[in-house]
Amino acid sequence: MTANIDGNVVFYGHLSELYRLAKEGKIKTTLQGSHTRPCKFWTATKILSGIKNAIVISHGPSGCAYGVKRAYKLTNSRNSGSPYEPVVTTNMSEKAVVFGGEKELQGAIREVDEKYHPDAIVVATSCASGIIGDCVDDVVNKARQEIQSEIMTIHCEGFAGEYRSGFDIVFRQIVDFMEPPTPERKAQLADAVNIVGAKMGPERTEVETDVKELVRLIEAMGARVHSVIAGDCTLEELKQAPSAAVNCTLCLDLGYTIGKAMSDKFGTPLNSTILPYGISATEKWLQGAAKYLGMEAEAEALMEREYAAIKTEFEEAKQYIQGKLAIIEGHDAIKCLSIAHMLDRDFGMRAVIYNFHPWSTEARETSVDYLLETGLDPEILITKGTLAFGKYESMKQTEDELLDFIGGLEQESVVYFGSSLSFPHIPVVDLNAILNRPRFGYRGALKVAKCIKTALQYGFRPRSALTKQMVFPKNSGLASAQSLTGKLAQDLPDCTVYAQKKRGKCCQE
Amino acid sequence: MSTGLTFANCDHSKDPIVGCALEGIATTVAGIKDVSIVIHSPQGCASTVAAGYDTHEVDFTKRKVGCTRLFESDIVMGASEKLKDMIKQADQSFDAKVMFVVGTCAADIIGEDIEGLCKQLQPEIKAKLVPLLAGGFRGNAYDGLDMGMNALLPFIKKRQVKRRGRKPRIVNIIAPQANLNPTWWADLAWVTQTLKSLRIKVQTVFSHNTSFEEVEQAGEATANILLSHDIGYKFANKMQQIHDIPLILGDIPLPIGVNNTTRWLKALAAHFQIEEKVQPMIKQGEEMVVDTLRKRALMIIPRYRNCRIAVSADGTLGIGLVRMLFEELEMIPEVLLFRSAMTDSQPILERELRSLGISPLVAFSADGYQVKQALEESGVDAVIGSAWEKYMAEELGIKIAFDVFSPTNRETYLDKPYFGYEGMINMMEVIANDWERAFRSKEIHHT
Repeated sequence: MTANIDGNVVFYGHLSELYRLAKEGKIKTTLQGSHTRPCKFWTATKILSGIKNAIVISHGPSGCAYGVKRAYKLTNSRNSGSPYEPVVTTNMSEKAVVFGGEKELQGAIREVDEKYHPDAIVVATSCASGIIGDCVDDVVNKARQEIQSEIMTIHCEGFAGEYRSGFDIVFRQIVDFMEPPTPERKAQLADAVNIVGAKMGPERTEVETDVKELVRLIEAMGARVHSVIAGDCTLEELKQAPSAAVNCTLCLDLGYTIGKAMSDKFGTPLNSTILPYGISATEKWLQGAAKYLGMEAEAEALMEREYAAIKTEFEEAKQYIQGKLAIIEGHDAIKCLSIAHMLDRDFGMRAVIYNFHPWSTEARETSVDYLLETGLDPEILITKGTLAFGKYESMKQTEDELLDFIGGLEQESVVYFGSSLSFPHIPVVDLNAILNRPRFGYRGALKVAKCIKTALQYGFRPRSALTKQMVFPKNSGLASAQSLTGKLAQDLPDCTVYAQKKRGKCCQE
Repeated sequence: MSTGLTFANCDHSKDPIVGCALEGIATTVAGIKDVSIVIHSPQGCASTVAAGYDTHEVDFTKRKVGCTRLFESDIVMGASEKLKDMIKQADQSFDAKVMFVVGTCAADIIGEDIEGLCKQLQPEIKAKLVPLLAGGFRGNAYDGLDMGMNALLPFIKKRQVKRRGRKPRIVNIIAPQANLNPTWWADLAWVTQTLKSLRIKVQTVFSHNTSFEEVEQAGEATANILLSHDIGYKFANKMQQIHDIPLILGDIPLPIGVNNTTRWLKALAAHFQIEEKVQPMIKQGEEMVVDTLRKRALMIIPRYRNCRIAVSADGTLGIGLVRMLFEELEMIPEVLLFRSAMTDSQPILERELRSLGISPLVAFSADGYQVKQALEESGVDAVIGSAWEKYMAEELGIKIAFDVFSPTNRETYLDKPYFGYEGMINMMEVIANDWERAFRSKEIHHT
């Protein structure tokens, strides 16, 4: 650790130690007021958006429904070929807040059933309806007798839980749509898996996505995918899902909830691993699936074939970075932990995760537990900037601190894994760029390897002065992806970027 | 005016294409420079406030937002202390001159006394605290825009000395952001540049890049110009009552298309008695449109003539579009679907339709279901709208959909007004390209 940064370090140690400190209450894990995440309503409806021909009725003011519709449904139409889909609201007015909105909800359920004939209606409560105490369950139970669609309530008021609680509650509750396994169905689905933990809807049609890669691998093994839950799954698929041979988590953190619920209720086996970035993680994922499919031999053969197809290029790329230090941007906790796992196990790098907010130790507890169980315990560096108030202010401070950290290292020995909107003077590998997909599986491992190789081969090229100025207007200091247009901010993950005036600026400047 | 559109099963359920009151209020506040916002709410509302900032394309370095992140215990026990702490922290970190303290649904319903708290805390806080109750249930985004602007009224200083004699040419501009042009600030720029060229001073814009000092000085204006047909009338009325500043041009369509632009400019000039100054502008503008279209767009004449079209828009652009489409492009607007209730501007639309001699089907406050239903039943050849309508049209088999309004799928790098003569050409460029795409072959015949 360099002397410059020492004064700004909140934590520098291993994940296990951070985890312990968080559990013991010795490090603050709450997010600062300037750093919000989507609320429970938003995360709940993100999962619900992934169920085909299911209409969400948001019992509340129109803004809740409109917000999620704009974020999820418009995106699905744009990227995934989804038709126009509504998110319905009871449009609670001041009058409804004062006198109650149960009548409106009753009417809305009837109307939605008539207008859309969905397979399922899910009534999602909002802050307003939750606070005034509308008896939503009673209304729904009564409506059940009167309508054609199946119907369910999700209690997901925005204040009722932290970010991930919305994901969890829906994943737990949609198990109620499912039917117990039958011998006939089990026989039919003996060679089938569910991929669980997806959200929002179908995959992008024009991109080789991570989920498509997993589907390809399952099929190449000789099995099939019964359903991706909740990535455009039908109600019928949900009903039959417990009869599949195994549930394979897409995202351990989210997939675990539904997988565990199905395991507890129906005995459906669960193959639960970290995100399958890289060869090592992919092997575990495949082996976990194969065990319950009775396809261990097929899995081994598949893995050999797949590895053989990528070996030369993969091993060549590995040479570039083996033994080097990887600084991994830690804003997306699950991804950064998975990347750390990949870089350690597959590429022999030393991983330091930077800007990993202590809040993530709670929000991502399942993934953290898994990673530690696998024996991986990456280094975490948290500087004061990460905890500073003010999103811009926090990032500005974080940038300075990181540049101090990089500045004290041998530049040839460090690679940054984060957004291309970062401009440190070390090679930048951006695994989120759309051309660098998939990231899962063997094809993903090769893509990652090529991405790394390209970044290092062209590390001699100074970053574009034009693009740098796009991100950092002169004299402005730091910005993040959110400083750019609203549309761009929606398309890109948030990230920390670095001012050109500080250490770490391009050597040509 | 014909309505003629009825929708069954829409009394209790809505498929919204407009946000809630909080978004409207945020869209007003975000237009004021150097302010900070503390939202007293669960964290989800922060994204609604962010949408307000996105509307103004406010740079991230200038977004000073804090959220109290209310959870269940706060709802049960109240969260005044949490709010106090957040205000203090935000005051210290952001150092803005003015801080809006906004209560959303949760805070509004549980009865958090934001006003009282702000009064009590003000001596300890450097920023001027402005409390606002902005529960989403108080209306839609248009209502919120109105509420946001009305909240600024108390800060407008009354002119001490009554003006005598000829009044100077100073205007306020109201509600430029209530406009579905994806680069609506270009419309504002067209208006301000036009005013500047006519030596009419712009005092205050409510609101876009507006300083709080400018808000305070708005009472210096001698006229208000409203750039929306959806909101702002109440605010304008109040300005008349309190500050004796009249609303001008409020009874004619905004400058969309050649004829409406000419009318608008003439009316502006007439009010300020500078008719001769506006003539060259009109002449140049009209000639530019004709020259451009005859060089590059002759084919539109057979294409657009008698094309039966549905318009799904806001009142701001929609009212003016009717004349542009019918009279100038010879299309036949058969269905008009407006996003807001347009309570105050319906008479303008009525007059337009009467003078054009047409009776299209009309719906106000149309939601997504109603828009789609109307399109399905209409049998039109084309629809002009946003990305929403584009997807609906594809599904319904309407071959031609013009993606002109927000939200749009188009990338736009250069700001493009829709107001004025150039604005008409900009819109027609989008329409022309979407037309081409609709009819270009999508098949490859492999040999």
